[in-house]
Amino acid sequence: MSEQKIRVILADDHAIVLEGLRALLESEPDMEVAASTVDGHEVVALVERISPDVVVLDYELGGVRATDIIGVLRDRPEAPRVLVLTAYHDGETIRSVLESGAEGLALKTASPQQTLAAIRQVVNGQLVFPQAARRWLEARGSRSGADELTTREREVWALFAEGLTNVQVAARLTLSENTVKFHVQHLFQKLGVKNRTEAALRHGAAPRPPGGARR
Amino acid sequence: MSAQDEGRAGDASLRLLAAGERELQRIVLDMHDGPVQDVFAAVSHLQVLQRELADRPASARRAGQAVLLLERALGEVRTLIGVFRPPGFERRGLGPILEGLTVQHETMTDQPVELTMDADIGDCALPTKIALYRILQEALANGFRHAHATRQTVSVERRGDQLSVTVTDNGRGFDPPPVLAAEADVGVEGGHFGLRGIQDRVAMLGGTFSLDSSPGQGTVLRVSVPAVL
Repeated sequence: MSEQKIRVILADDHAIVLEGLRALLESEPDMEVAASTVDGHEVVALVERISPDVVVLDYELGGVRATDIIGVLRDRPEAPRVLVLTAYHDGETIRSVLESGAEGLALKTASPQQTLAAIRQVVNGQLVFPQAARRWLEARGSRSGADELTTREREVWALFAEGLTNVQVAARLTLSENTVKFHVQHLFQKLGVKNRTEAALRHGAAPRPPGGARR
Repeated sequence: MSAQDEGRAGDASLRLLAAGERELQRIVLDMHDGPVQDVFAAVSHLQVLQRELADRPASARRAGQAVLLLERALGEVRTLIGVFRPPGFERRGLGPILEGLTVQHETMTDQPVELTMDADIGDCALPTKIALYRILQEALANGFRHAHATRQTVSVERRGDQLSVTVTDNGRGFDPPPVLAAEADVGVEGGHFGLRGIQDRVAMLGGTFSLDSSPGQGTVLRVSVPAVL
């Protein structure tokens, strides 16, 4: 990752924001803008063609909601990390972004440097949300299905919490990707979560398996 | 004024309340679509410029100062949007709205708010919803800004058709009578505690208000208002 640039797709219906962010990202040694668009309907096709590391999505893209785009992206086998860019930091916005499965949220009412930092953080597998929101979701998800997990499911869960993709989990545990998908399906069902983000957040709040997570 | 006239005046006040929130919504949208996008984009360009000026330190410093000023402006807009943006009163229930408000307060202040709310809190009349949201917002802000509380708790209960909200903090407390008396003169704009505004909102709904505080102790504010008007 250190030698390869982070490939980013920018999607925002404000052309001036796209232009500014593009200039800023291109001036960073470790990032490149692989594509940008003002059209929310174009995002999925761009992701499929370009396979970026990160998509930076405006919360509202001219009538298309970021959360709906993320819903479609999440069904793809190798979904990119998604950072949602918004001017609003109210509970409803944060919650909808969290629940959509995005990896992070950055504010247009904060320095663009924070957006750059958030891009690097989500690439490193971190979830970037305000602390208050994380506790909120953990509390909501605290009903435990964790007791019923198999050892293998716990291993997959722990690696998710580190930010690994299905392919990376498969490599780490020397399993096929299909087997990982199978475990993931059961893991989500037992935890009662909808996506990787929720699963990862639940992991932070859950009791550790005996002996801790294996690496 | 006859009882009927008073009733009509009361209805008009309540309608104005909702109209005021819609106006706020419009102003916040204008801020969002205009200044926020422009300033965010401008800061992005300036930060690139700042880097390109690395071999001209005086110019780079000047660009850096411009960045700091614009970031400060963005921060102020962030606060304004946070305070004024209505949370979707007409499409969301009371519970999610109040829960979202406590999360937003925690995000803005980095301080915990402990919220207890009856699971079956249900919904309520629009003016009641607006009043409880704005009252809780003001009470949380007071506790943080003026009482320097490090911990706040919020309890929301429903007893029949009465909704009550209790906000408690561990802040430095104050002597209520002088503060309330001063507010009667200077109003909300006087830089005081906004308690007058809270009382006005409660009175408009025919509810009750109580405040328990003394210097060195925390503060307990409690309002109770009818859910249905």
